Amino acid sequence: METRVDTSQGAFSYPSPQQGVDEAYDAEGQIRPYWRYLLHSLESLGHDTIEERQKKARRILRDDGATYKIYDEPDANQSWQLNPIPLLINSEEWNQIETGLIERAELFNLLLQDIYGERKLIRQGIIPPELLFSHQGFLRPCHGVKLAGAHQLILHGVDLVRAPDGQMRVMGDRTQAPSGAGYALENRTVMNRVFPSLFRDSHVHRLSLFFARLRQRLHELNPNGGIAHIVVLTPGIYNEAYFEHAYLANYLGFQLVQGSDLSVRNGYVWMKALDGLKRVDVILRRVDDVYCDPVELKGDSRLGVPGLLEVARIGHVAIANPLGSSVLENPALLRYLPAIARTFFGRELQIPSVKTWWCGNPDDLEYVCANLKDLLIKPTYRRPGLYEAYGADLDETKLLAWQNRIRKNPYQFAAQEYVAGAQTPTWHQGKILPRASVLRTFAVASESSYAVMPGGLTRVNLDTGKKIISNQRGSVSKDTWVLASEPEKQISLRPVDVQPINESGSALPSRVVENLFWMGRYAERAESALRLLRTVFIQLNRTEKLPDTVQRTLLSAVTHVTSTYPGFTSLQPALLKNPEPEMISIILDQQRMGSVANNLTAMINSAEQVKEQLSSDTQRVINDIGDELELLKTTLEPNALSAPEETLAPLITTLLAFAGLIHESMTRGNGWHFIEIGRRLERALQITSMLRSMLTARLDEVDQESLIESSLLCGEALIPYRRRYQNGIRIDQGLEMIMLNPRNPRSLIYQLIQLEHHFAELPDDHETFSTEQKLLLEATTALRLSNIKTLVKTTSGIRAELDQLLSRTQYLISSIAKTIGQRYFDHTEGPQLLVKNTHWQDQL
Amino acid sequence: MKYRIHHKTRYQYTLPVSHCYNLAYVLPRATERQRIDDIKIEVSPKVSTRVQHTDYFGNHFLQFSIEKDHSELEVSITSELSIKDNTGNINLDFGTPCAYVKYLLQNSKDWETLCAREFMLDSPMVQQHPDLADYAASSFSDDRPFLSAVMDLTQRIYKDFTYDPQFSDVATPLADVLKHKRGVCQDFAHLAIGCLRSLGYPARYVSGYLETLPPPGQEKLVGADATHAWFAVYSPGEGWYEFDPTNNTITGAQHITTAWGRDYSDVTPLKGVIFGGGHLPQLLVSVDVQRIADNYIFGL
Repeated sequence: METRVDTSQGAFSYPSPQQGVDEAYDAEGQIRPYWRYLLHSLESLGHDTIEERQKKARRILRDDGATYKIYDEPDANQSWQLNPIPLLINSEEWNQIETGLIERAELFNLLLQDIYGERKLIRQGIIPPELLFSHQGFLRPCHGVKLAGAHQLILHGVDLVRAPDGQMRVMGDRTQAPSGAGYALENRTVMNRVFPSLFRDSHVHRLSLFFARLRQRLHELNPNGGIAHIVVLTPGIYNEAYFEHAYLANYLGFQLVQGSDLSVRNGYVWMKALDGLKRVDVILRRVDDVYCDPVELKGDSRLGVPGLLEVARIGHVAIANPLGSSVLENPALLRYLPAIARTFFGRELQIPSVKTWWCGNPDDLEYVCANLKDLLIKPTYRRPGLYEAYGADLDETKLLAWQNRIRKNPYQFAAQEYVAGAQTPTWHQGKILPRASVLRTFAVASESSYAVMPGGLTRVNLDTGKKIISNQRGSVSKDTWVLASEPEKQISLRPVDVQPINESGSALPSRVVENLFWMGRYAERAESALRLLRTVFIQLNRTEKLPDTVQRTLLSAVTHVTSTYPGFTSLQPALLKNPEPEMISIILDQQRMGSVANNLTAMINSAEQVKEQLSSDTQRVINDIGDELELLKTTLEPNALSAPEETLAPLITTLLAFAGLIHESMTRGNGWHFIEIGRRLERALQITSMLRSMLTARLDEVDQESLIESSLLCGEALIPYRRRYQNGIRIDQGLEMIMLNPRNPRSLIYQLIQLEHHFAELPDDHETFSTEQKLLLEATTALRLSNIKTLVKTTSGIRAELDQLLSRTQYLISSIAKTIGQRYFDHTEGPQLLVKNTHWQDQL
Repeated sequence: MKYRIHHKTRYQYTLPVSHCYNLAYVLPRATERQRIDDIKIEVSPKVSTRVQHTDYFGNHFLQFSIEKDHSELEVSITSELSIKDNTGNINLDFGTPCAYVKYLLQNSKDWETLCAREFMLDSPMVQQHPDLADYAASSFSDDRPFLSAVMDLTQRIYKDFTYDPQFSDVATPLADVLKHKRGVCQDFAHLAIGCLRSLGYPARYVSGYLETLPPPGQEKLVGADATHAWFAVYSPGEGWYEFDPTNNTITGAQHITTAWGRDYSDVTPLKGVIFGGGHLPQLLVSVDVQRIADNYIFGL
């Protein structure tokens, strides 16, 4: 298979290494045969094409909502960074790596069992007791808690780096909730789309089998019999890797839940779903172990499930990786790993670790302090705010501070030889440049051993000044191509019984449903506000000046509909004379409750909470909404408002696209019903609020007409109105169109009819009318029984009947919204600790 | 000595609790000198789950959950046990000297010593500090028998510190206790543990009960007893020895052991998570240690 492309030596612009090792060059300075095809292909694609492909990759990642949060940078979500040149590994070397990783996973599994079991390693003097006892990942409450089966360690992640001698070394292990497998999968998907023929012709090992094995192993862990209900437990949208949690949950077909979606009852774990509790059998954990149970672990954690550890202890739920497995992430263990391997296997590991010292050993401590400037300092327990540091990056003062810190708490620090990692061809600044790389690999317990993902997550620093490669420090990722020496064989796994996904979606966590409901409400609230604002701008910009009463009424309506009081209702002359700044604030001021920006931000946040429920088209439109809003901040200036349609239309159109996508591409499950219920309730409220502020007071004929026209314009009903009534604009006909016409999709009655349909579909016994159905029946009936002739009648300048009807309708709709909330969403009060403050120690 | 102990813990909430998950370290454990004859456990209201486990330190703990609305929780334990008084056999002035204890701690390869090294390290509520080492230093010298030095430290804490339940609560840091020289049994135990660890010796926290005797000529009041706490130190080859700095004594037949750990946080009598309950629940604890026989018969 090596006769792909005839490539003449020296044709590559990729420079041969000045020093150190390079993935693409062999020791003799020749391009390795298996790199030739890729480098040559890139060469023939040329600069512009590669740039364009990279742009395409960025766009796909953004549309997929692929983000990664960097905690120290306040600017919320970073897009996931994918460099378009993959790391290549040939099959011969991969075989060795794979064997080494399986062996290492086996060893860490034995280590984990020993730590929470016999502690033979301490007993036999293989590791000093302090190495274990001083580590904050050693969770004493987890002693004796076991998963069924031969493996306690289900997932094992390893950071591999190529040393100057050309051999791979392990820098560290990830054992509590190894992240990156989902990003690796996303990288692969994107590369496949961006370089389809290059990918196809390179014979790259597929990743899917790894995930199939993971899915199968999780099913096998089910302690309760029957078909396993498996969930992915995430800390939520503020976690750096939330995208991956949602992505993996979707890919594996599991539900994504947060701690508050789960509850321990009667000795089992349950998910709070729309129509009651659903038992959970297996948890794929992405929450750090100490945060998982405030009863026995970190008491002030809000991310866990009170009582979870006890359920695991009595064997009614399986958690992967098990609680307590973060103890294996202690880098100081690497110092003792050769001896540990000899104890368990009678030999050392095939892939050695990077040389490591533990400051808890007096000799090591002295060595580390004397050589700090050449070493990588690693806290033995990872926590936010305490990162590793490279001595060479530190000045004298900082080195001294580190020394003091280490001497004060020697047990808490390890140090490692600095290995830069091999250079690998990387696309940067329009060129193929060498950049140092680290590879994160993944193994999953499978059958009687482990299976390794053929590939992994490669990371490089584009900035050569940065010495530590980590996503938290802005490194970028690469796909990793393990090249097959022959076309890949198809392996099929024994099929597992999978619970058919409940089409109606009644198994959705209540939190998800609540967020969908609010997403619908916020979207509609923003849209209604924008429509009204646009109408008002149009009216204000007419050639003939608006009568004062009309202007005042329109502006007050803006304040009423958006609830941005006091606003125009204060009737300050200056405000009414120059209304634009206030109107712009109602659009753009994010901090202001009721503003368009505020509602859209809330809508985007709700969408982020239910990321796994939204298609990538929807994600794209949500991105567009965010972009249009950002754009408005620059375009929306007072003078731009002479053409308000042009300025506001793009955002309104994107909101319509969003509504259309929800309508056209979501299955009609509970999730969809709740989005629509949210939208309909909100629109009904907006209509009543607008009508009350614009049409309940009687004005003279001309003013009246202009307000009716505005109301019709807001609801896109002006043209149909004119078509239907060719006799000019009249209050009774206008009201009929906006309130009572069942064929107008923006009429009040239409919203209520839609709500009736949705309510009939909600999980319920349907034997009797629910409270919300009764309230709705009253609202609908009152509207249907109303008489336009009576409604338009005025007494002392007020349409009292109309106002009464609208106000009653408003009340009923608000009550429906409240009832829905009480009935379907979770109202558990936050947990509190019985005894507080017994764990003071938290910082170093 | 044979005792019957009633230990009742009651929480009264200002608002109903809808459900709760609790861990209770209120069951006495068997030790070299203590035998458990009978234990009765009552939890009210009715529990949804209740399981008894043995923890990492060998203590027995009770896990229970309640899943219906309640505004009061009561855990009531009645235990009968027998205790051997072996204080007569202990002579603190003949034993391993401090310097040798330190040497053995680093060089002994026996399992008990290796395990005891866990208790030389910082724990959630007790961190080593130079001030603690300074305070303790005068009791220790290389040649002095280690246990005699610990007794001296115990005595000094007893003399220098004032028992003052008003001063401290669960959350009072050790530094404050040392500064103001006030506290309760739990603080004094933590203080001694902090001193010993700061000097490089293993020490652990012991929780339990103490039989109190009424003033001469008076009837003993029911419920007048309390939960108690003291500490234990480890000397390689000699084992663990318990000291009670609140009462200036090594522990005897009147000290009844419930559980031990690195500090209070490992053996909190009743902890957990409640949903609802409002603010500031009221806690009522009553302990009654009743002597039912003066003799001790092993192997009955």
